[in-house]
Amino acid sequence: MLSIILLIGVFCAGARPAHAAKIRIVATLTDLADLARNIGDDLVEVHSLATGVEDTHGVPMKPSFVPMMNQADLLLLVGFECEHAFLPGLLEASKNPRIQRDRAGYIDCSKGIIPRDVPKSTEHYAGDVHPYGNPHYMLDPVLAKTAIQNIYNALVEFAPQYQGEFTRNRDAYLAKLNAKIAEWEKEVKPLKGVKFVSYHEHWPYFADRFGLDYFGTIELRPGIDPTPRHIEELIAKMKVEHVPIVAREPQFPERVPKRIAEQTGATLITLPIMPGGVPNTETYIKMMDYIIHTMVGAVQSRK
Amino acid sequence: MHGGIKMKAILISIIMVFVFYSSGFAQTLEERIKILEEALKKQEQTIKEQQKVIEELKTEMKQGKPSEQQAVTPPKEAAPPLTAQETEKKSTLEQVQQQVQQLKEEVGQVVEAQKKNILSVFNPAIGLVGESILSYRSRGSNETGSDRPGGFDFNQRSVELNLAGSVDPFARGYAVINASADPVTGEATAQVEEAAIQTTSLPWNLTLKAGIFFGEFGRLSYIHDHELPFVNRPLVLDNYIGGESKTDGVQLNFLLPIPHYVSLTVGVGDQFGDTPNAVGNFRHFDELNFWGRASTYFDLTPDVSLETGVSGLWTPSEEDRGGVFVQPDGSILTERRRLVVGADLMVRYQPLRNNQFQSLTWGTELLYSDNRYLDNPTGIPGGPVFNRDVGSFGLYSYLAYKLHRQWIVGCLFDWMENPQNNADKTSAYSAWITWAISHWNQLRLQYTYTTHNALSGLKNDNAIYLQWAWIIGSHAHGWQER
Repeated sequence: MLSIILLIGVFCAGARPAHAAKIRIVATLTDLADLARNIGDDLVEVHSLATGVEDTHGVPMKPSFVPMMNQADLLLLVGFECEHAFLPGLLEASKNPRIQRDRAGYIDCSKGIIPRDVPKSTEHYAGDVHPYGNPHYMLDPVLAKTAIQNIYNALVEFAPQYQGEFTRNRDAYLAKLNAKIAEWEKEVKPLKGVKFVSYHEHWPYFADRFGLDYFGTIELRPGIDPTPRHIEELIAKMKVEHVPIVAREPQFPERVPKRIAEQTGATLITLPIMPGGVPNTETYIKMMDYIIHTMVGAVQSRK
Repeated sequence: MHGGIKMKAILISIIMVFVFYSSGFAQTLEERIKILEEALKKQEQTIKEQQKVIEELKTEMKQGKPSEQQAVTPPKEAAPPLTAQETEKKSTLEQVQQQVQQLKEEVGQVVEAQKKNILSVFNPAIGLVGESILSYRSRGSNETGSDRPGGFDFNQRSVELNLAGSVDPFARGYAVINASADPVTGEATAQVEEAAIQTTSLPWNLTLKAGIFFGEFGRLSYIHDHELPFVNRPLVLDNYIGGESKTDGVQLNFLLPIPHYVSLTVGVGDQFGDTPNAVGNFRHFDELNFWGRASTYFDLTPDVSLETGVSGLWTPSEEDRGGVFVQPDGSILTERRRLVVGADLMVRYQPLRNNQFQSLTWGTELLYSDNRYLDNPTGIPGGPVFNRDVGSFGLYSYLAYKLHRQWIVGCLFDWMENPQNNADKTSAYSAWITWAISHWNQLRLQYTYTTHNALSGLKNDNAIYLQWAWIIGSHAHGWQER
């Protein structure tokens, strides 16, 4: 009898009202978490599965995420199958019907974004391609505004009584972001037409936005490490085209990018792809600041 | 010949499935059409606004022209040049019109493409796994007790077709159909390894699974062969469970509604592993198998984790259905009751920043088997028999170091007391290196030295394995792959 009472107690302790004091949000990556905090402010409690230093495709499936996701009201994801390596398993383990795929709490922040580089084939000869296109749109701050709107819409739909607060917060953040975008657009003038390579294909949206020429990747294909031949061919092409920048994302080893930079005379820089990827980039704006300052600094130092 | 025809039929079926496979882009096409249509509408709106501005400018220009009566026939003047702003607006309008035209063509193409009748649009996600093992063992199977021959052996251990999809908003279904070589005849036989439905929307943190599946016992029993961190399943799992923990039954999982991860699983079903393996005449409730597992997890640091669990398996009665074991001394043991308990532990160092390129994993399981057998000491049918309870321990422990995204090295220690005779002990020492050419293609080279004590009558042997595993099609990262 005591066991039954205890068991009932455990059940009741786990149950929570439909709208607790704060809206519980779980974001897959730190950029979405930062946006959610800015829009939701005191009304939300936000957790991110990633800390910022991970490969976006390789966030570990930790059982410690499961209770957090089990209690979530909303799940924010980048979309375009960016999280395919860890999210399906975690969703299965979370046992939270609210946030399962295509349910009301499953917020795909890519809604409304036309993807780049949609592959013609998803066969594995092309590597670990994203079937719905390149998912790294968050590195374009203009496209990030679409994600902001999607998060805002989700919050308003979940808690319409707070629409006023969400609207004020969103507008304030957008004003701040728009001012930074204007500042970045002026700052990136030295980057117009500058060619660069990166380890993984994180940067096409960023390059398009700010006028850079995304020359290629160190990876042979998405998710496939470079072969010696690919490295040699890349070095040869970079020399012919005078590619001045090698961008290494911090979750990839330094050895090969460093070797390529040394052999081509390019400048090796380390760029985060999520807030928290390198020190002093805890927020989305700080991260973009860091990326742009670092790139501009690298190009100007060569002059 | 018959086996050859069967193999051809299996291959043709697999090819037919792939001919009709599509990864369901119809939904994506619809979304893309919608997005393009919305963009088109916006562009058309922009053109209208631009046209309005031009009309206004034209009107202003007309109003500024001199009266015709005043002129004696003044020479024709060239039209006043457009201002820079007007030129820019005209150029923008032309560009917009061009873009609208391109968008219309693209939308038209997408709409035409969507009209095609794609038969496979409702197919589930489909993937195929192949696993080949080339091996050399220094002794024959009569000396090692292996179900594969000694010397050189080529074994297509798995050709595994995986299917998965949503049944409805409340459940998912999946199936794993495996064709592998029959250990006796060598011919390929296809069997349903798993086919189950699993709920996705039960309240109270519950998940129910029913069908044929690998029951949750320990850490590696319910992992498919090709997904193991080494070539062969540990000896203790092969002997105490009987290979993979395959069962026909139902399993309920409960996630405790607390901030700390604690998972509880209970199940009941017919067969678990390789026994009881006979259909039997009349099955009482106590002839079913009952199993359960409780597991929890700790983040010791952001980079170091510990996952641990305890498991139990109980088959109260295997009347007329239990496995029959002929002992080296000629006696015959018939399994009548099975009880296995186990504890598992996995400690992993996986630096978050480098998690794709570096990790160190220590995994271990300790099992205790307490089975009851009907002992026929003479081995003569109808001879005197008596019940014998045998308690045996067994364990495995491995260390796997990932030194690069593509390279893993590891070692494994196996130790086991025979579940029918705990004085009969076997140990095995293995070392391996895995080359993950890509996410879907890996080679593994493993050396194993197996020792037996004299009781078993088996001989020590050396074995080398070269395993090649590959995947085509869809490949989902399920919870078990963490």
